[in-house]
Amino acid sequence: MTTEVSVSAPRSHYRFKHVARSEVAKILTLRSTAITCGLTVVACLLVTGLVAHGALHHDPSYYAFGFDATQISLTGMIPVALAGGVFGALLITSEYSSGTIRPMFAAAPRRPLLFFAKLAVAAGIMVIACELLSFASFFLGQVILSGGGAPSATLASPGAARAVVMTGLFVSLLALMSFGFGLIFRSTAAAIAAFAGVIFVLPLVMHGISEAGVRYLPTNILIDSIMATVNQPGQGPRFAPLVPGVGFSLVALYAAIVLAVGATLFVRRDA
Amino acid sequence: MRMIMGLDLPDSGVALIDGKPYGELNWPLREVGALLDAKAFHPARAARNHLRWLALANDIPIGRVDEVLDLVGLNSVAARRVGKFSLGMTQRLGIAAALLGDPGVLLFDEPVNGLDPEGIRWVRHFLRDLAKQGRTVFVSSHLISEMSLTADRLIVIGRGRLITETSVADFVARSGRGAVKLVTPDAGAFGEALTVAGASVESASDSSLTVEGLTSPQIGDLAARDGLRIHELTPITASLEDAFMELTQDEVEFRPSTMPDTDPVGAKE
Repeated sequence: MTTEVSVSAPRSHYRFKHVARSEVAKILTLRSTAITCGLTVVACLLVTGLVAHGALHHDPSYYAFGFDATQISLTGMIPVALAGGVFGALLITSEYSSGTIRPMFAAAPRRPLLFFAKLAVAAGIMVIACELLSFASFFLGQVILSGGGAPSATLASPGAARAVVMTGLFVSLLALMSFGFGLIFRSTAAAIAAFAGVIFVLPLVMHGISEAGVRYLPTNILIDSIMATVNQPGQGPRFAPLVPGVGFSLVALYAAIVLAVGATLFVRRDA
Repeated sequence: MRMIMGLDLPDSGVALIDGKPYGELNWPLREVGALLDAKAFHPARAARNHLRWLALANDIPIGRVDEVLDLVGLNSVAARRVGKFSLGMTQRLGIAAALLGDPGVLLFDEPVNGLDPEGIRWVRHFLRDLAKQGRTVFVSSHLISEMSLTADRLIVIGRGRLITETSVADFVARSGRGAVKLVTPDAGAFGEALTVAGASVESASDSSLTVEGLTSPQIGDLAARDGLRIHELTPITASLEDAFMELTQDEVEFRPSTMPDTDPVGAKE
């Protein structure tokens, strides 16, 4: 038995959990977080309610072919994508604009750790919020559709559960992409402009460039691949939407690229 | 200071705190407290909440938040949004944030900037107290007169270069002229006696002389020997500001000659 005793106690230091707790506290202590959440819930349910209501009382032929009750009930997730994008960008750009990033770097100077803590907290909050909204939107839509006598779906309907869960995850992914833009641009206006450009402008422009390319854009993947449970008529194989798994993976790759560029800049740049 | 904190990367060289780069500290806020800019808060967050997230990041007990708020006198406004704070209050909050982890090393960048006289006095005493507790307090300022009241040791940096590192007393003494102001009704006789003793004397008025080359005790002894009356005897020390101006003037003066390539005439030849 050796008589030598280690004199240095296990050296504790700040860890991921400390930084993550700190990030959560930061998000929860801003009133704007609550306001954003509240408005997002209202916008989501309002849009779903209006669209589902608009789908009532049509001729039977309207419902006969290509009617997708699940997709209709998830329409409210489109404003959630916008709100998520704004919130995702603000998570980081507000730190730069207010100067909070400097005490944050002072408290946790290991920037890769700080990046992953921020990303994990952002992802956690986004996934929880978006999944809740996705389910809420689905159920509200189905209540309105079935109440109005239109065909409706349940979670047991083919593809419905997949669509609801995946829509929540997909919208979270878009919000994280926007968080990546925030890391890259550090300015709220620039990050939101980049996000809006990808989500809302690119689809409009792409129609004029290549009709076949449209199906690779995040917005079109969301609506035509992720939310949809019924194949729409009249689309040739060249323009058919991607299958959900492929579409989801592709957008995960887009988000990963944006986040990787953002993380690299975040770690290297002067604060 | 930003480079010490690892916020900016230096072109070359390293800054170590207790032998470690800032980025490798185990609990940065418990080892180094910094006030770099007073406005580094989210304006919509309450003062207490700002300190809370900082405390959480380094596992500092939450009770410490109210302690430091007490220490800087902000406990009554702890729930108020930081955006509504006056400059003096944000400065106090910045100091509270620096003290949160009870660190042994404190960095303050221009801590009295924009404060009213009372605030300046408060910060001055506060910094002195922190130093008395055995902490290292590193303050940057361009308010030289303020530093002469606060600092023990000086580092003078001009154009990114270290000009000197010394104690305040040494710095002033080295640059001081070592003159003594003498007020006496016997100016004439005194002047002669001092000149004989080897001093150079300048008369500022009928009864006031500036003496160089003799110390106050020597002048006093001389007065006692010759029975001359003294109404006032004051050593004239250069102010820190004078000393600083003298030093940085040199720096500026020799610069062009060390950089001939910036001289257009030299470039032509």
